[in-house]
Amino acid sequence: MPRPQPSEITFSIDGREVKAPEDMMLADAAKLGDIEIPVFCYEPKLGPPVGACRMCLVEIEGMPKLQTACSTAVKDGMVVHTRSERARVAQEAVVEFLLINHPLDCPVCDKGGECPLQDITFGWGGGKSRFIEPKRHFRKPLELSPLIAIDRERCILCYRCVRYSQEIPEDYQLVLLERGAESFVGTFDGHPYVAPFSGNIVELCPVGALTSRPYRFRARPWEIEDAGSICTLCPAQCNTRLTVRDERVLRVLDRNHPEVDDGWLCDKGRFAYQAMHVDERITSPMIRDGGVLREVGWDRALAEAVGALRRGGSATAALAGGGATNEEGLLLGRLLREVLGSSHLDSRDGEAVSLPHWRALANPKLAARVSDLEFAHAVLVLDCEPLDDMPILDLRLRKGARRNGVKLLIATERASALDSRADAAIRFAPGRGAELAWALAAALRGEPVDAAAQAAGIATDDLHALADALRDAGREIVILYGERVLDGDPGALLALADALGLAEQDGGGLLGVPAVANGRGLREAGVTPNAGPGLGLPALAGGHGAREIARRLASGELTALYLLQVDPVLHYSDAELWERALARATTVVAHASFLTPGLREHATVIFPAETSPEKEGTITHPDGRVQRLRVAAAHAGDVRAEWRVLAEIIERLGGAPTPPTARALSEALFEDVPFYGGLTLDGLAGRGLRWPELQVSNTLSDAYEEAEPKLRKPLRAAKGKLLVGTYRSIWAAPEVAASPALAFLTPRQRVELAAADAEALELRHDEAVVISDGEREVRARVVLRAAAPAGTAFLERELEEDGANVLRGPHVTIRTVASVEAEAAALIAAEEARAAAETETLAQAEAEQVT
Amino acid sequence: MRLAVERWDPGEDQIEVQRAPEPGVAGGAYRAFGETLRGLKTTFARVIEGVHTIQYPEQKVAVYPRFRGRHKLHRFEDSDLEKCVGCSLCAAACPADCIRVVAAENTPELRISAGERYAAVYEINMSRCIFCGYCEVACPFDAITMGHDYELSDYNRGDLIFTKEMLLAEPLDQTPLRAQGE
Ligand code: SF4
Ligand code: SF4
Ligand code: SF4
Ligand code: SF4
Ligand code: FES
Repeated sequence: MPRPQPSEITFSIDGREVKAPEDMMLADAAKLGDIEIPVFCYEPKLGPPVGACRMCLVEIEGMPKLQTACSTAVKDGMVVHTRSERARVAQEAVVEFLLINHPLDCPVCDKGGECPLQDITFGWGGGKSRFIEPKRHFRKPLELSPLIAIDRERCILCYRCVRYSQEIPEDYQLVLLERGAESFVGTFDGHPYVAPFSGNIVELCPVGALTSRPYRFRARPWEIEDAGSICTLCPAQCNTRLTVRDERVLRVLDRNHPEVDDGWLCDKGRFAYQAMHVDERITSPMIRDGGVLREVGWDRALAEAVGALRRGGSATAALAGGGATNEEGLLLGRLLREVLGSSHLDSRDGEAVSLPHWRALANPKLAARVSDLEFAHAVLVLDCEPLDDMPILDLRLRKGARRNGVKLLIATERASALDSRADAAIRFAPGRGAELAWALAAALRGEPVDAAAQAAGIATDDLHALADALRDAGREIVILYGERVLDGDPGALLALADALGLAEQDGGGLLGVPAVANGRGLREAGVTPNAGPGLGLPALAGGHGAREIARRLASGELTALYLLQVDPVLHYSDAELWERALARATTVVAHASFLTPGLREHATVIFPAETSPEKEGTITHPDGRVQRLRVAAAHAGDVRAEWRVLAEIIERLGGAPTPPTARALSEALFEDVPFYGGLTLDGLAGRGLRWPELQVSNTLSDAYEEAEPKLRKPLRAAKGKLLVGTYRSIWAAPEVAASPALAFLTPRQRVELAAADAEALELRHDEAVVISDGEREVRARVVLRAAAPAGTAFLERELEEDGANVLRGPHVTIRTVASVEAEAAALIAAEEARAAAETETLAQAEAEQVT
Repeated sequence: MRLAVERWDPGEDQIEVQRAPEPGVAGGAYRAFGETLRGLKTTFARVIEGVHTIQYPEQKVAVYPRFRGRHKLHRFEDSDLEKCVGCSLCAAACPADCIRVVAAENTPELRISAGERYAAVYEINMSRCIFCGYCEVACPFDAITMGHDYELSDYNRGDLIFTKEMLLAEPLDQTPLRAQGE
């Protein structure tokens, strides 16, 4: 559905002539004339208004009764009075009425000082109440969930939280129980409200009925500083507002950016700030000394790293990930290419993608905006799970489908949380996203699809149904793809984009979900094996991608590894290869906040990494929006700016000097990356700028030659075995495990099975099992999922314990722990019996000798 | 060599000073002696009144009951719970910005105050306080009041940050109060 283009009308409010878009709600339109109408239940983000609280009553000429401004659309020539006697009396009455049951315990209430009920009572209330009857009482405060406390006495029954649960994440968990004056908010069977986006209701509640448990009583609004920042825990890069007191971040709020987050945050982004101030966090440099990591001063650690890197020289490789900024990426590239003479650096798992592919994918004509997801004719979710990979987009996709009728089509390997919202959903064999893209492109072009469909493991009927749905949906189509789809054959996605004619559409295009928060920015800053800054030709050719780096480290060809906020053993596939690679490497220098498994065992020098509130620099959103990070809180412990650490290393190794300030460094980045030309830090301001929209951006040529599809062999079912697919849960992050409030969500390995498979293997829900690919084993609990595709077992990646990264697949066997233990016991028993028999024969022989 | 200094011409800015008429001989004498004597009248009157010096610190000045001195935090007399709930309203009211409150949540095992929250940290920086009493007015629970003690000097600025324990404790000496009409 194309974006609405409302016409402008003029109306009069309290004697002022005001221009506003037609059909805007009066409560919003009044603001254009600098007039405030008090509201409680109205929140445009929640969808159509419900008029539950009656706070917004105003008088409109020609209408006999007072109207609710939140649900009355402005029309041309409307005459509105918000301060007439009738309106004023009504407003006072509503305030008095809302306070009948309100406990007025502001001094102990966490909302005090930032509470709309306080403000509106002060501004529009009558100042006294005639109600002397007892108020209603509830037990309080109660845990609505481990993250949220509920105080039902304070609730004014505005419905916001319930509407949120039903309309935004559509989890339908919160309801109003009972009726009339007895109503109260709760979950319908009393279970805790645990959901990926539950924290948003704390911010929505206009009173102190819902409060954040980690923030409870930590500070008052007049004791804090607000600091704009950006969450760097996933590629969504939601804009945040940090509450800082005494240089500690105490709370994260949203900073509504309609082009990025739409005013919501996920619970990871909202509560994982706690990981900044925990003891587990690395806050001073460490070196490995006699096999153990030991904290040392900066000089010692820097000297150690510089010496080791000098020895490593051109046999050094580097990986970057996490929330590393563009500037850090730029410096990492300079360190490797210009100082050490190596081009082996990467910021994504898997094999290297060629430069022409990257350039074609970055073509501004193919770039979709985040808000296009909401207004396109159709969105194809290809090989990613928005809820896990870029959570906030899950809400955006639901919004588009619910409010604008966007057609939602899903092609993933694993069942998606969006399936119930989707117009069509198909499942392909694990890891075969590229083949699916080829098959879909072929189907759209009317070419034969059989080979590709077979390689992708889908039925041709399903494929054609999906292709037809795409073709019929309309012209503007957005493909939201996980970057995993580029493994195998990066050309497949471009072929699909071409088959859909995405380059010619304004409201459609490609939107890629990288695996790490600043994946796109790091790539564009030059942290990729075959491209320099700005996807230009690198200063040094012949760089290897991450997987090849692992092989070469394991074989001893490369000897040193520089890790910028990434631990390949934890984050990359084939953990075993990486184990060997890191064990063989003589030097592993890492920037990290937590001692993840690979670093604990193998890092030789560790520099403490900054968290996003401590950082200064820029990051790039997957849709090309360059956003600015500013320092919001002081560095914890001994932490230093990471770019300064890189600059220091470059200098000590004799490289060209780095600009002396973060600002100058950002300017150097904008110069080095041609399509960032024209950006300035001040221009980015708080909202960022999308470079594909800048005039200078057309430095990437359109020339891209499509090659023949490269199809892998179809995956065949094997008897008694299942295919294995992996996914990363939204909660799989060291920050989640380290935050006391979120720790209860830390994922444990679970294997998702279809009911049919479980039956065939005689497994029950929640049974402990061992999954093995013949060499390596992972322990898990069985989870039966109705929507799981038969024949495939899905396991979680990137867990500290039992992560599926170790499994190589494509097939695995699943046995219960009980049977494995029984087998082991049988083996031991047999062994013991054999040993006993042996001793007996020995004893007999001895006895014979004696006689 | 001397530079010829040109005389600066103030031009239109020149103003004329108007003087009062000269007092004359009699007027001059009155100014010199009469006025001085008038002042000395007060001096002599006090001399007759006797000694006013107070032998501080042995002797203390009694203060009025509404005198605003060192603050006190209060407990409930029956339950011994602290009255302060750590709401920070006093900190918001304080014009000198010298109160710091960090609140925490009461638990059934550890109940400090009567409300849901209590002040885990409550500090007043006495070296900044201007003894305006706004904190007392702001407190919704009468948890903080201005006491009568004014002996607050110390050798160290750091010691002038009064902690919750110090503010809850009774001061060592009682400052004498003025009786009514005194
Ligand atoms: S809990 Fe808050 S948001 Fe929910 S109905 Fe009550 S007042 Fe409204
Ligand atoms: S969706 Fe991603 S960027 Fe947004 S708050 Fe959650 S983790 Fe942070
Ligand atoms: S008396 Fe005035 S200056 Fe002193 S702490 Fe109270 S409010 Fe602040
Ligand atoms: S002294 Fe009174 S105003 Fe100050 S924090 Fe305690 S209860 Fe609140
Ligand atoms: S804001 Fe209009 S009825 Fe609640």
